[in-house]
Amino acid sequence: MNELSGRFQELLDLLSTSPALAIVLTLGAYFAGNRLFRLLNQPVWLPPIVISATLVSGVIAVLALDYGDYREGAQWFSVLLGPATVALGVPLYQQMHHIRAMWRPIVVTLPIAATMAAVYAVVIAWSLGATPEVLASLAPKSVTAPIAIGITEQLGGSVPLMMGGLLITGVVATLFVDLLARLLPVKDERILGFALGLNGHAVGTARAFEISHTAGAFASLGMGLTGVFTAIFLPLVFHL
Amino acid sequence: MSMLRGFLVLTVFFIAGEALRVLLALPVSGGVIGMILLTFLLMARGSISDSLAGASQALISVLVLLIMPGVVGVFFVADEFSGQWLAIGIALVVGTLLSVFTTLWLMQRFSAQEAGDHE
Repeated sequence: MNELSGRFQELLDLLSTSPALAIVLTLGAYFAGNRLFRLLNQPVWLPPIVISATLVSGVIAVLALDYGDYREGAQWFSVLLGPATVALGVPLYQQMHHIRAMWRPIVVTLPIAATMAAVYAVVIAWSLGATPEVLASLAPKSVTAPIAIGITEQLGGSVPLMMGGLLITGVVATLFVDLLARLLPVKDERILGFALGLNGHAVGTARAFEISHTAGAFASLGMGLTGVFTAIFLPLVFHL
Repeated sequence: MSMLRGFLVLTVFFIAGEALRVLLALPVSGGVIGMILLTFLLMARGSISDSLAGASQALISVLVLLIMPGVVGVFFVADEFSGQWLAIGIALVVGTLLSVFTTLWLMQRFSAQEAGDHE
């Protein structure tokens, strides 16, 4: 029995040093998350990514794996994030005629909304007594992950906390866009897409592509512009 | 095969973006610079190859998968910020509600004005 558990440990050590386990875990949780999401009748408040990430964390905890090891193995996916960000240029180009027609509201909205996305959160957290490290982690909450990582490091925040804030922001932004679209009401899917991308980065953009290709293109635009704008603006302001 | 060709193009643009970021010390990520470069190049050419369109579509459809490893990390920093979760939660939820409202309101107001100008 003891010998068997020793071998089991050996197997775990082997698996955790190769990226295969992390890949199986991530892909498996991705499909399981999507499946559960459909089984639950696609609740807006529980996007597949939350289900999948919870599953992965559960397995890591149960098997007593090291998160650092998992992260290293799952780099396979993180590496693709760069080319995937570049790929967002394609829907941008394909929808350029829509974007040209909307350039004026975009130019007015972007700087104000992207600034306020950071300011609201930082001011609220500050007034509730959050530490500077937390504030620095919350500031880029509406920015897409690869850019936000750079910003947080520059501001001296915590990257895992920022990723958490990013995810929660993406989820609640998706919820609030759906909610406010009905309350205000806003029906123009170009506006909804732009709001999803500007506030909810990749999570919002994924949701926008579910609405339509046009909404997705506007979300990519909102996400890209917010990323660029915030990356330049935030480090300048934060040091004042 | 043709999708791999598109993937090659995307990765080359990513590397070009990274190169510009490092060489010009830009605060923006290489992916975003690559995205901007690609958009301008496609606009200048006025057409897009099937392989590039296919590869982009494929990557975009799994975007959520690509950010998952980072997301999983949230569950492992919970203790570190234990006293501040309420402040963090309120800031994220209320802040996002306000910023979504701001975005929708501004976009709608100024696009209505735009439509008014044309009529």
